[in-house]
Amino acid sequence: MIHFPTPGRSRETARPFLFPAVALLLLFTLFPFAFTVALTLSRVSLVGGLQLQFAGASNWVRLVTDGRFWTSVRNTIAIVLASVSLEFVLGMALALLLYAPLRAGGVFRVLFIIPMTLTPIAIGYMWRMIYDESIGPLNAILREVGLVPVGWVSGTHMPLVSIIITNVWHWTPFLFVLLLAGLRGIPTEVVEAAQIDGASGVQIFRYVLMPMLTPTALAAVLLRSLEAFKIVDEIFIITGGGPGTRTESLTLQAYYVGLLSFDLAYGATVAMGLFLLVVMAAMVFLSITRRTREGEEHP
Amino acid sequence: MRRRQVARYALLALWAAVVLFPLYWLVTASFKDPLAVSQGPRFVPWIDFEPTLAAWSAIIRGVEKESVAGPLLNSALVGIFSTALAVAGGAAAAYGISRYRISVGPLGNADVLFWIVSQRIMPPIVTALALFLMFRVAGLLDSRLGLVLVYATFNLPLATWLMHNFYRQVPLSLEEAAKIDGASRGHILWRVVLPVSAPGLAATALLCFIFAWNEFLFALILTFDHARTMPILIAAQHNQRGIEWWALSAMSLITIAPVVAITLALQRYLTSSVLAGSEM
Repeated sequence: MIHFPTPGRSRETARPFLFPAVALLLLFTLFPFAFTVALTLSRVSLVGGLQLQFAGASNWVRLVTDGRFWTSVRNTIAIVLASVSLEFVLGMALALLLYAPLRAGGVFRVLFIIPMTLTPIAIGYMWRMIYDESIGPLNAILREVGLVPVGWVSGTHMPLVSIIITNVWHWTPFLFVLLLAGLRGIPTEVVEAAQIDGASGVQIFRYVLMPMLTPTALAAVLLRSLEAFKIVDEIFIITGGGPGTRTESLTLQAYYVGLLSFDLAYGATVAMGLFLLVVMAAMVFLSITRRTREGEEHP
Repeated sequence: MRRRQVARYALLALWAAVVLFPLYWLVTASFKDPLAVSQGPRFVPWIDFEPTLAAWSAIIRGVEKESVAGPLLNSALVGIFSTALAVAGGAAAAYGISRYRISVGPLGNADVLFWIVSQRIMPPIVTALALFLMFRVAGLLDSRLGLVLVYATFNLPLATWLMHNFYRQVPLSLEEAAKIDGASRGHILWRVVLPVSAPGLAATALLCFIFAWNEFLFALILTFDHARTMPILIAAQHNQRGIEWWALSAMSLITIAPVVAITLALQRYLTSSVLAGSEM
């Protein structure tokens, strides 16, 4: 980073440039965040104006003993782990397929990107229609080929699987784009040298491309995972969190509890539970990244 | 070698089919009449079912169905104004960070940048419930202004991050020359740096717009009626007389059409660094 020489001209500061951004963040992110923390320690009454009463740790005690909360923790983590790993594998496969130049490669690339730009609510309905057990095309195709129709959004495990499938359709493009760019960023001489030395395709991937791609891959997986923890739109449409509360994510539960049951204090506590989970996930990722880097320095 | 090429195309075509089939289903459903939907899946127009424009005309003219005009206008206005605000705020902040020496206590430029960018990690629900109460007190509930402010804040970390990257590619010699000519700092940003960063600004604005356009959770919590956006209108189709898939599909297509158009028209701007930033 290069700076203009400014000593002696102390009146010239970055403050005016930073002011609008900082003001927005303070008003609409940091203040609400602090307010949410306060809510988790309160009883809220909206009768005759907003009133907060200090309630100690009661919301938090309720949270850690609430089976519904732990179900949504489990759902959220399951969705993140399953979706992101499938998206990584598929994204990598697609990136490798398009790595070498190909006629019509550009068309495939654009087409493969499109799902990640679409409105999640529309994606939700699109898939809900596809999963529909009587009028949907999936079961019709299964029947046609002589298989048993599947209860995509009913039963114990299928609804969560269906949500993961939708998420994979929606977000594989993100991993694909980043991994393809990462692959293209590797100097071609390195690959050519390996080819001259007689390395096979698999060997080139395992010993040349993969190590050089690791930083990109880690960053891509980190970004996607942190975002995946926030999942709500598609679940809201496809299952509404049901059957029962079986497919509730943390965000969805916080919304239901906070605004539909109008228990704002406890809804805020559930949301804060999600916040802590995301912070923990970020810390785990950062320590993995650090270890990987150290591993590179001292093999 | 030839056989390998064929296998490669076959696999690519397979994934293309996976991407396209749901979209195909959405498009055809919007041209089906209620019977063609409820009698089980119909795949091919003119063979399986007779296409009709009934759903499209109903949602556009607002006959028997709520018209999409209001929410569409809200989505467009909120998208445009929140994008303008986010890009302006982000472009200014990124400029301050990349061209000045900042110290806030022990913190320097990199820390300020990280602080701004890391706000994006915050799950929206954490602030949304508190914002509901704040907006209730401030009279901003169900207002387009409220959504504009929230979306601008939500996109600000992304805009700052991307603009910071773009400024790095602007040669300092340009700015130094303008400085010697006696131009003020604001003037240099406006007349020299921003014009050179135009492609970056375009890409940033585009992404911010797509995010604002697609956003659901804040709109769900902060609007009910006047300020409802397209995703809220679509989500509200849930409970009335069962789901009218034909109308719903048409509405969904109207909603995704602009983002698909933007992606296709400006895909060259959607480079990987921009898309990577999109999840920051």
